[in-house]
Amino acid sequence: MTAPTTAMAASATAPGADVSSVVVTDHLSKWYGQVIGLNDVSLTIGRGVTGLLGPNGAGKSTLLKLITGQLKASKGSLKVLDQPVWGNPAIYLRMGVCPEQDAFYDRMTGLEWLMALLRLQGYHDGEARETAFAALEQVDLKEAADKRIGAYSKGMRQRVKLAQAIAHQPEFLVLDEPLSGMDPLARRKTIRLLRGWAADGRSIVVSSHVLHEIEALTSNILLMHNGRVLAEGNVHQIRDLIDEHPHTVRMRAKDPRRLARELVSSADVLSVRFEADLVFVETAKPDMFYARLTEMAANGSSGEIFEVTSPDDNLQAVFEYLVKS
Amino acid sequence: MRRPPTFVNATARVFDVAVGQLLWSRRTMFMVLAVTAPILIAVILRASDAMGVSALRVNGQQVGGPVMFGGMIWLLYLRFIVPVLGTFYGTALIADEVEDRTITYLFTRPIPRGAIVVGKYLAYLVCTILVVLPSVTAVYLLITPIGGGGIGETFPMLLIDLGILALGLAVYGAVFAFVGARVPRPLVAGLVLVFGWEQIALLVPGYLRRFTVAYYLQALVPHAMPQDDAVSAIESLFSQAPPAQSSVLWLLGILVVALCLAAHTLQTREYVLEQ
Repeated sequence: MTAPTTAMAASATAPGADVSSVVVTDHLSKWYGQVIGLNDVSLTIGRGVTGLLGPNGAGKSTLLKLITGQLKASKGSLKVLDQPVWGNPAIYLRMGVCPEQDAFYDRMTGLEWLMALLRLQGYHDGEARETAFAALEQVDLKEAADKRIGAYSKGMRQRVKLAQAIAHQPEFLVLDEPLSGMDPLARRKTIRLLRGWAADGRSIVVSSHVLHEIEALTSNILLMHNGRVLAEGNVHQIRDLIDEHPHTVRMRAKDPRRLARELVSSADVLSVRFEADLVFVETAKPDMFYARLTEMAANGSSGEIFEVTSPDDNLQAVFEYLVKS
Repeated sequence: MRRPPTFVNATARVFDVAVGQLLWSRRTMFMVLAVTAPILIAVILRASDAMGVSALRVNGQQVGGPVMFGGMIWLLYLRFIVPVLGTFYGTALIADEVEDRTITYLFTRPIPRGAIVVGKYLAYLVCTILVVLPSVTAVYLLITPIGGGGIGETFPMLLIDLGILALGLAVYGAVFAFVGARVPRPLVAGLVLVFGWEQIALLVPGYLRRFTVAYYLQALVPHAMPQDDAVSAIESLFSQAPPAQSSVLWLLGILVVALCLAAHTLQTREYVLEQ
């Protein structure tokens, strides 16, 4: 991994017409009035899976919104798949977007929603229905295809959001916190799906504030902090740093006490606390913890786990340490 | 590679989605109430007439059904229901998607943003017309026979009224679609425009009234008003109205300009910033 620096990422590639890249930015900046969202970023994101990692407010979402054409650059240039993206709707034939927000047309069923969006992609009715079913099947929602999205659980909503992004088989996927709120089994399946997607030669840019999630998908990451790219490269060095800091995981479970009993016996758990149906666990070894949690969810020893999230502040301390160093 | 939908196709597909959204929106109950109220008023007037109680008299003379109907068209529908529906629905076309943060799904499709505006606008128009025009027809059938008015002879006037109302819904909808795309709190801005600006500008002599939709709509109202001091004041407004043909042209011009501005706003605005 490139050494952390407070200046522009040392490893950032000079822009150019690189056909092996999916995103090329040149001195890209975005201001929100007086606030800087992204600060003079020049980088090249190559094909394959790239993870954007950073704490809350690092600039990940700003960069993704620029890449997906929802924001216009204040300064600098940006090309996606060798094309400008702002004001270029044709690019969405090749790009799929899974936004961060938990926002839907709640009265529509998952199938109706996907069909409507596929028709906007240029699919005819019959074709849209078939393709929507296939996408719902990929995210394990075929059984819930005719259920209203408003009645979906958080994890199901995350999955249907992913389904709309992949349904039209884009060559480039942009995913903003795609695993947030999913239960352990859905996370595992989604990670498998995305790995398979990348193995087919497609590219993915995925953002997260949880290293474990990114690491499960790729070892190629961009570290962001305060609107800049701190470093890019292999994940292992930052992983060691992160492992030294306690990591908080929030879980919503059917039987929180049973879950806590199962978890607390392990050496990787530092503390456990309750809040209604929520269990908060502080762990020093998130990798080990997440692996065990997935196993427990799979064999049912801890009862049903509905939702797993990781608060934004986990990475903050690590990034402050990186910036200072 | 698959080709993106044409503008017309994209508009039709946005329309399909938007019709369902509009019908199930939070504002639907309001629209039902708004169009039911005149029917209730008409029922009361008809019942009064049937019981021999003359509901409305001017200078001691009973006001006939067709005149009453004309008054309701102008005062209730054109001056209240149509602008209010235009405000509530027009401002919501884009603003609701922004507020609910669902606009991202539309903006990340290979369709021009202008098609989103036009598709949603057409859905608004179809929904409101389908609700308002039957309400007007019901009021017409209830009120026209009062005082011996004949339905057959005044029927062409009903058709003209329905056309005026449809045009009113179309123009107000386009204006407020633009307001909804441009202004952060569009409903408040829309209500201020309808109940503030339009009311004041119509009362002020001079050119100010030319900058209202109501000024051109009132020129199209064909009904003779009953003679009375108060009503004469209303009539004076009509007498200052422009010719019907030029009013129609002005209204169509406002409609086209407002829709183009709404489409341009959607094309250039970064809505994510407002979320």
